[in-house]
Amino acid sequence: MTNYLIRRAFQMLLVVIFSTFVIYVLLNAVPGGPLSGIGRDTGDLKARLNSEDIARIERTLGLNRPFYLRYFAWLVGEDWIDEVGEAIGNPGDASSMPFTNTWDDYLSPTCSAAGGTNTGFDFSTNKPSPCGKGILRWDFGESWSLARGKTVSSIIGDRFNNTIRLMVTVIVISLAIAIPIGIISAVRQYSILDYFVSSFSFFGIAMPVFWFGLLLILLFALRFRDWGLPFFPAGDVVTRRILPGSIQDVLGIEKESAADYVVHMFLPVMMLSLASLASWSRFMRSSMLEVLRQDYVRTARAKGLTERVVILRHAARNALIPVITVVVFAIPNVFSGAVLTETVFNYPGMGSLFVNALSRNDWPIVMAFLFISAILVVVATLIGDILYTIVDPRIRFD
Amino acid sequence: MSVAKLDVNALQNEALILSKPEHILITYWNRLRRHRLAMLSLYTLVFIIALVAIGPMVMSRMTYYNFQQGQEVPYARDTQDLPNKSASPSWEHPMGTDDLGRDTLFRLLIAGRLSLTIAFTVVFLGETIGIFIGAVSGYYAGWVDSVIQRIVEFIIILPTLPLLLTLSSLFRDIRITGVPPEWSQAIVIIIILTALGWTGACRLARAQVLSLRNQEFTEASRALGMSDLQIIIRHMMPNSLPPIIVNATLGLSGVIILESALSFLGFGINPPVATWGNLLQEAQSKMHQDATIALYPGMLIFFTSLAFNYLGDGLRDALDPRLKL
Repeated sequence: MTNYLIRRAFQMLLVVIFSTFVIYVLLNAVPGGPLSGIGRDTGDLKARLNSEDIARIERTLGLNRPFYLRYFAWLVGEDWIDEVGEAIGNPGDASSMPFTNTWDDYLSPTCSAAGGTNTGFDFSTNKPSPCGKGILRWDFGESWSLARGKTVSSIIGDRFNNTIRLMVTVIVISLAIAIPIGIISAVRQYSILDYFVSSFSFFGIAMPVFWFGLLLILLFALRFRDWGLPFFPAGDVVTRRILPGSIQDVLGIEKESAADYVVHMFLPVMMLSLASLASWSRFMRSSMLEVLRQDYVRTARAKGLTERVVILRHAARNALIPVITVVVFAIPNVFSGAVLTETVFNYPGMGSLFVNALSRNDWPIVMAFLFISAILVVVATLIGDILYTIVDPRIRFD
Repeated sequence: MSVAKLDVNALQNEALILSKPEHILITYWNRLRRHRLAMLSLYTLVFIIALVAIGPMVMSRMTYYNFQQGQEVPYARDTQDLPNKSASPSWEHPMGTDDLGRDTLFRLLIAGRLSLTIAFTVVFLGETIGIFIGAVSGYYAGWVDSVIQRIVEFIIILPTLPLLLTLSSLFRDIRITGVPPEWSQAIVIIIILTALGWTGACRLARAQVLSLRNQEFTEASRALGMSDLQIIIRHMMPNSLPPIIVNATLGLSGVIILESALSFLGFGINPPVATWGNLLQEAQSKMHQDATIALYPGMLIFFTSLAFNYLGDGLRDALDPRLKL
């Protein structure tokens, strides 16, 4: 197994680096790009930037670099560009090197001012280093357009707490309900309970998620208010102003207390749980039905084990395989959030950050987001594979 | 009656015919018929398919009074009737008209052709390809498994939105000759959604096969001299079917919605060509004026998906090799 894990770690690294490369190519290939709206073609002469301005912007963003250099600077930083460049020699194409005609032009202005190196830089002031250190050294760079000048890690950090709180709650609640429901409706197949649970989950699956979210807001936030019931907040993470008659007012919940967070998560969690609950319980039911008819379950019963032990220890354990496959892919979502839910409930999480960054061409944020997601995807499949060997000892990797 | 008069040959023939097992498909069908909800769903699906296939043909031979043209005209997808726009349901327009005076029912029916074709084809192709590749991956394990699973991870990692935007700029103007433009768009969409959508089935099938490959019956088949491909197709794939069926039934409405997201990005099938997805999307922006517009396409997607789910449930039971009747 150790051998396998080492080999696997190496493959994971390759997959992540290859994927980020392809994603980088994709971003560069998407029509438009960061400089598309920048006024080369506006009619207003005052708003029009001259080519020197554009060259300066390109240099600040690193867009004047040739493509391979862009990717490598993102991956391993830019503090090596001038040394390696000088060692190779001047490439000679002056069109993209407007300032000094040396490799120095490919450095960002701050890096160039620092002499193309981070050595001797005083990090104690907590300022970002003058030269980008690259994503492999955990430097995600600075935002281009969403929050110009802020580091990507600080932007992500704010949103990440909101998302992880929401998604972990959803996963825990869904698992805690879906697995028992799946087991029960398989053991009592075609009972009234099974029909009820099945119809409920089909309903949850067939219902468009955002529509359900809108209905929830309509009922719990708007109608409750009309009816004079304690109504739930329709959006945001914490209360700004406690409205009379709202649930915070009725229960006496203070602003930004733990209960305040819970109250705000209530509706989004309900919306997200319905969808994952419905599908996970279907997977559990289906595989449980299959396992229940297998010989070893009969053997276990013949040994005189109680039905409870047969079902929970022998059958359910094996039936978990498809559920594991599906559930581990919820791990990347803990980071990446749920775009639709966040939009409907105006919940500042990672999903809406990603979509905003994408539409504003804020590549450092987009790339940081996708890089972390990529790591989580490969880690999730690894966790899945390890869990297979735990629930089913017949599965071995070596 | 003496014994000698008995036609032994006929008796033998009869016995042989009787002992011949009924065809496996008939067995499946008989099992499925016992599942009442699944049969009801099957009828519903057939009804919906017949409706979208035949409905527009019948309606285009019927006429209604078009105020704009001042005469009776046949129902059509794009014929406008501005004086009679946003009309409420009537005999001539059972579901009313949209904001350009086009007949809602006709648009809904003709949209169903594209939406259902895309959804069923993508789900069928994606799951079939996924289950086969997954079974191969799990059966051989070792480096074959590693390569296939790393490719799967790669596809899962790729971000949908930028990928679709790039593809849309590449394939926007592609036209397959001899096919109407909206159908050639549909084919491109089917190819792309399938290429991105087989990974779920692949992971599920592989996990099942990883467990199946070490069971006795696999060893027995190998001992009987079955080739690897035979074992994969005859034993691994059917045995890993249950989670795949669940996955397929979950995916159907997702494909319809995804297709509408595509047209929102300017890549999918754009108005005036109608699909259930883009009708739903259109309706969303007008929902505060008239909520019923969103109701019709939403209900059709909902019912198709619901029926498909129940049918999948019945199929799962009917195809279960361990089910003895």
